Amino acid sequence: MKKLLAICFAFTWIGSLCSITEAQEKPKVRVGSKSFTESVILGELLSHLAIQAGADVEHLSELGGTQVLWKALVKGDIDAYVDYTGTIQELLAKIVEPGVEVRSEADMRAAMDQLNIVMSDRIGFNNTYALGMQEATAEKLGISKISDLRDHPELKFGISDEFMERNDCWRQLPAKYRLPHKDVRTMDHNLAYRGIEHNSIQVTDLYTTDAEIEFYRLRVLEDDKGFFPTYYSVILMRKDLAERAPKVATSYLQLENAIDSKAMTGMTARVRLDRQLETNVAAAFLNEKLNLKIPYQGIGPMAEWKRFVERFTKTTLEHLFLVSISLSFAIAIAIPLGILSARNEAFGQTILGVVGVIQTLPSMAILVFMIPVFGLGAYPAIAALFFYSLLPIVRNTYGGLTQIPRAITESADVLGLGRRARLRLVELPLALPSILSGIKTAAVINVGTATIGAFIGAGGYGAPILTGIRLSSIPLILQGAVPAALLALAVQYGFTIVERRFVSPGLQTRG
Amino acid sequence: MFALNNVSKSFGSLQVLKPTTVDFRTGESTVLIGPSGCGKSTLLRILVGLIDADSGTIHFDGTPITHKNIQQQRQRMGYVIQDGGLFPHLTARQNVGLLATHLGWSHDKVDARVEELAELTRLPRIALDRYPTQISGGQRQRVGIMRSLMLDPAVMLLDEPMGALDPLVRFDLQEDLRKIFRTLGKTSIMVTHDMGEAAFFGDRVMMLGEGEIVQEGRLEELIQNPANEYVARFINAQRIPLS
Repeated sequence: MKKLLAICFAFTWIGSLCSITEAQEKPKVRVGSKSFTESVILGELLSHLAIQAGADVEHLSELGGTQVLWKALVKGDIDAYVDYTGTIQELLAKIVEPGVEVRSEADMRAAMDQLNIVMSDRIGFNNTYALGMQEATAEKLGISKISDLRDHPELKFGISDEFMERNDCWRQLPAKYRLPHKDVRTMDHNLAYRGIEHNSIQVTDLYTTDAEIEFYRLRVLEDDKGFFPTYYSVILMRKDLAERAPKVATSYLQLENAIDSKAMTGMTARVRLDRQLETNVAAAFLNEKLNLKIPYQGIGPMAEWKRFVERFTKTTLEHLFLVSISLSFAIAIAIPLGILSARNEAFGQTILGVVGVIQTLPSMAILVFMIPVFGLGAYPAIAALFFYSLLPIVRNTYGGLTQIPRAITESADVLGLGRRARLRLVELPLALPSILSGIKTAAVINVGTATIGAFIGAGGYGAPILTGIRLSSIPLILQGAVPAALLALAVQYGFTIVERRFVSPGLQTRG
Repeated sequence: MFALNNVSKSFGSLQVLKPTTVDFRTGESTVLIGPSGCGKSTLLRILVGLIDADSGTIHFDGTPITHKNIQQQRQRMGYVIQDGGLFPHLTARQNVGLLATHLGWSHDKVDARVEELAELTRLPRIALDRYPTQISGGQRQRVGIMRSLMLDPAVMLLDEPMGALDPLVRFDLQEDLRKIFRTLGKTSIMVTHDMGEAAFFGDRVMMLGEGEIVQEGRLEELIQNPANEYVARFINAQRIPLS
């Protein structure tokens, strides 16, 4: 025991020594952002500043919402990101001891101090929630403030998930304004703009700095009862960042009171409407504001092509990694589970029930559950994909084994094969077509589902899809969707070949 | 070969085999005959351990059959069922050689034995490398018989082996099977409901009815001196169309 302790101690010591020297050479900083353009630009600002301060930076962009970023920050998977006071208040209210008030920014600082998180001063702009409609529709119906909506119960609402679920948003808003609307559905924020444009919905939630307000000619309805809290943007960073990379932490303070609403909306518009790269927009802002000389990313067809090739290679490798690892683990676990299920009826029903329930859990929920365990990136995505792959394989293994005619299993028994040999020589080969088709189903589902990995920084074909949705760029969406579909087809075809190769000709149906 | 002492079996409240004490002697061919549900298949399945008896003991070659030794004992029994019970993913050759290969026989030895058995059962060579779905019902049954003979078992147990065959194929196979048994001098126990088959194979015929042995002896004895109305009716039912 003592010896073991000593070894552990030695390793920890060497480990910490290594990380110190590494940190002295070039500190590694991980920045996060949510999957809307303003957040991505802010993430790029933090990235540029960290690079300028001499750090090695990774920007995990377009992560799936506040929960994902917050958990990653607390766990240490990212070092900094920009959030909003209203959001932080809502977030902390769920965490602090009952009775503790989190109203002022000072309260928030105190609460976060406990979690070793530092909150900067306001960056400047207030990006609060609002409700918006097409200018023309609003004019026709005579709606200028939220209260006016009360007289138009026929209007359809399309609001974002987060808006729906927050106490300071939809949970309280209808009561506060006594809104009678029944047709309220959740949808992606960027898709909601499309919906408004095509009049499939009439009202949506907005962020007041959204560039689209102007672009789509939307009317921002006045919050005449002062319902929405303020959403001042602030930088959240881990306390240890100031120790690991003091220059980076200091440089971030330069953003305090540096960006007003107009500047922020302007940057968003340049990305959303002028199709500039977030990184260049952020660099331009810093170069001008702080007199820096951050180089710009190349533009033009050649640079585009190069980026396309790089992105395609990267996302393909990432996607294949996610699918192959998760599927391998699923096969290794699910086939034995299927065998045990076929052996023992009660166990089988339990297992099939459990994996069935897992299948019904929303993928985003599973991903968020995984973050405290696995952090951000590929591992939680692999874990989630692993769970999703279990059901088809377990069920088909179970089905394949239990559907073997009794005369066959009895023949094996009477021959004197014994249980193990019976399984290996008779039952598994007979169940193989069913097992393989289960694996095939799992693989195809897996290829499709792996696109959600992009929400937690796992990359893959989901990344261009997410960016494409955010920027309303069909070509970008296709850069993820088309390869994902082709990969699914390839997997399907691959398994057909495997079937031909490994399933006994005696079991193959011939045409 | 088999000695049963007070062996009985019930499924739920239905007693399919009343306590039965009987010997099956070495070198003798016994036919278990009777209508469906009389308990003849149950008796055979108890012998190979597919069904556990509720009471009584079974000795095989002087050794009591237990859960522990049943697997070993089975390797000394050949069991043939309707339609052969072949493994569809294996060729005829692989079906026949499966257990021997599993037990570590050399490839050559397995092959030689398979060829020998194909000769004995008059299975066309070409059928050896086909899968069960690719050969005829009669050939499947021949392969089933080859498989049961592979390890040269001490006893052959046959559960309606001709049940699924049409009359002509059946006739051919009956002839061959009798020759095989004569040649090998095997102890055999066959279940059938066909009097003709019983006459063909059985040195000794056991008539079962409602879970017990009603009468046993040579077939002529059963025909000439049926023990009761039940035996007489069963025999007459099958004799009428022939006479």
